[in-house]
Amino acid sequence: MAFLIRGFAAAALALGLATAAQAQKPVTLLNVSYDPTRELYQDVNAAFAAKYKAEKGVTVTVRQSHGGSGKQARSVIDGLEADVVTLALAYDIDEIAQKARLFPADWQKRLPDNSAPYTSTIVFLVRKGNPKNIKDWDDIARSGLSVITPNPKTSGGARWNYLAAWGYALKKFGGDQAKAKDFVARIYKNVPVLDSGARGSTTTFVERGIGDVLLAWENEALLAVKELGPDKFQIVVPSVSILAEPPVTVVDKVAKKRGTLEVAQAYLQFLYSDQGQELVAKHYYRPRNKAVATKYAATFPQITLFTIDEVFGGWTKAQATHFADGGVFDQIYENR
Amino acid sequence: MVTIRWKTGLVLFWALSAVVGAPQLVAQQDSIAEATQQRLDDLDQQIKVLSRRWELYQDSVINAAKSRPSVTAGATGFQLKSADGNFVLKLRGYLQADGRVYLSDDAQVLTNDLLLRRVRPILEGTVYKYYDFRIMPDFAGAAPTIFDAYFEARFKPEFAVRAGKYKPALGLERYQSATDVKFIERGLPTNLVPSRDVGLQVAGDLAGGILNYNAALFDGVPDLASGLNDVADGKDLVGRLFVVPFAKKADNPPVDLGFGIAASTGDELGNTTTTALPSYRSPGQATVFRYLTSSTAPVAGTVIADGRRERIIPQAYLNKGPLGLLAEYAISRQEVARDTGVTRTTEKLEHKAWQVEGSLFLTGEKNSFRSVTPKKQFDPFAGGWGAFELVARYGELDFDDDAFPLYASPTASVTEEKAWAVGLNWHLGRNVKLMFNYEQTQFEGGATTGDRPDEKFFATRFQTSF
Repeated sequence: MAFLIRGFAAAALALGLATAAQAQKPVTLLNVSYDPTRELYQDVNAAFAAKYKAEKGVTVTVRQSHGGSGKQARSVIDGLEADVVTLALAYDIDEIAQKARLFPADWQKRLPDNSAPYTSTIVFLVRKGNPKNIKDWDDIARSGLSVITPNPKTSGGARWNYLAAWGYALKKFGGDQAKAKDFVARIYKNVPVLDSGARGSTTTFVERGIGDVLLAWENEALLAVKELGPDKFQIVVPSVSILAEPPVTVVDKVAKKRGTLEVAQAYLQFLYSDQGQELVAKHYYRPRNKAVATKYAATFPQITLFTIDEVFGGWTKAQATHFADGGVFDQIYENR
Repeated sequence: MVTIRWKTGLVLFWALSAVVGAPQLVAQQDSIAEATQQRLDDLDQQIKVLSRRWELYQDSVINAAKSRPSVTAGATGFQLKSADGNFVLKLRGYLQADGRVYLSDDAQVLTNDLLLRRVRPILEGTVYKYYDFRIMPDFAGAAPTIFDAYFEARFKPEFAVRAGKYKPALGLERYQSATDVKFIERGLPTNLVPSRDVGLQVAGDLAGGILNYNAALFDGVPDLASGLNDVADGKDLVGRLFVVPFAKKADNPPVDLGFGIAASTGDELGNTTTTALPSYRSPGQATVFRYLTSSTAPVAGTVIADGRRERIIPQAYLNKGPLGLLAEYAISRQEVARDTGVTRTTEKLEHKAWQVEGSLFLTGEKNSFRSVTPKKQFDPFAGGWGAFELVARYGELDFDDDAFPLYASPTASVTEEKAWAVGLNWHLGRNVKLMFNYEQTQFEGGATTGDRPDEKFFATRFQTSF
């Protein structure tokens, strides 16, 4: 009997030691994200790693990959082993679910707020003094103006820009799709360069000095003003814009294979925490947390925002109509 | 006086005109300046736009290149490779055109001839990261034959699984590529090992390549044979352990040494149609030993494989600078039976062979078990002469005395052969080689009276490989 008790105790000790050893093993995550989130996730990663180390004793390193949202989704479909994806729009994550089947199709139900821990919108960044007197979407479509926006075929931000303009035009023309198409076509006639991602367009406008106005993520515009000074750029808030909800999800199959599922889930949950939401607001994304949103209310101007579901019937429909090969965007851009 | 007044009036007129017209002129000049500035701004924007477009174009070219498959051609063949390296298709191959002259063969038992010895295109590739394949037919014979056709899952250097038709890891010289062997024909021990067989193999390199292991299950084919279909249920187990002590210092080993032992065991049962027994050759490819057969109905007296077949082959190579040595010893045992219709006799026969082979690069190249690249390619216009390699070997093959006379005819099959050979290999480049061999073989028995005459065999080869 004593032999059995000693054996059991030894086994329990060995199991405990093994579990402890397992718990101490460092974990590396890969977050595949879209273009303008570099700075946000640098801070989030550091804060999460410190918190997780303190709470679980595990060292976590989060590697980042950034690019146009569509391109990033394609990379994951093609085999890039992302533990989590934090992309610009739900459609790109839907594509991964459908084509690579790395996580369930109803992934958006797994986290609060349709798995979008922060939101943003589309605004205009103009040069100081607003020399072209740009006030609203009508001015963007004016002849002779130079508009900078990325390629909607590769950039999530660009698709938000395009749909924001289209939504405004529908409202202006009482739902007349043909007039909306003509309106958006006039905007794209003013686009001299199509970058593949939002960060590239910011470079074109800010660093290369091209164009009169940049259609930008609100966070990207606020960052540009902060980094480069209000003496060089200013933000123009249009009368109407779109509510952009960049979603996140764990890539289940990859995370399970790499043994990182638990950490990956905790990483995304962290985005909803008070600390995570503070970081979100600090980097000019609109937080979901009401208390944090109130605290940072001065940063984010009040705009009338419409959702993609309200105006376009959801991402799948919008993608098929406007951005699929041969879709409305192709027709507009080829006939420029 | 009138003149003075006229001039004063003129001056006053001009002064008045200047005062009245100046604002108009200034406005005109401002307008020109503004238009010029606008024009400059427009041009500045155009230049910036063009510059940015060029920048993006260059980025797109670089990114496209990263995702574009690569096509390469070189000394090791032609290759098509996906951007991520997970998919590869290689086209390789080699051709050997030989000339054979049998000296002192007045009876013309053997034919002096020019022949295509091997014509082998090779298709190799990787189908996603870990999975390789190789297909190698040979078009040199009367009909095309598949020599290699296998699939290999290569998960780690320590563990790879191969299935298909390929060389069993038994004889060392047989294992050496046909393009890298030092002589036109392999030595006597190769008689006692199979050429190709169909099977499943697990292999890998342990301890950083110091210990190489192979363990395989094959259909089981007779010595020298290349199998495709089995004639009996029995299978051969084949294993080899090979040590390369300086594998971790592959860049600059004190010596390039490898040694090991290979063995096989299995049951083979032949019948009077397919005896499952080999015949053996001289270096000049003449048949020197064959088991008795009978064409008399009901084919009584034909010798067949009848039980356990075993092979043991210790082996080694050593290369130091331009000098290379290869040695192996082979034992092949086979239980055989002969049923004359009146009596049935069985015997376990044991044939043994060995050889030592040496080579020396006169031009100083580093010798190797694998292909050697000359320090200078042969180029009569640039002055390069390629590499010259002297080769020599000695070997013996001893057939079991118990084979005679019940299982092999002492007047048709030799009981022993001893061969020595010398040669010169001229490596014009990595892909082209000329070979000149002379080999003399002395036989015991194998003739109606006394010994079969010595075989004096001169051969040449033109080889190109890629």
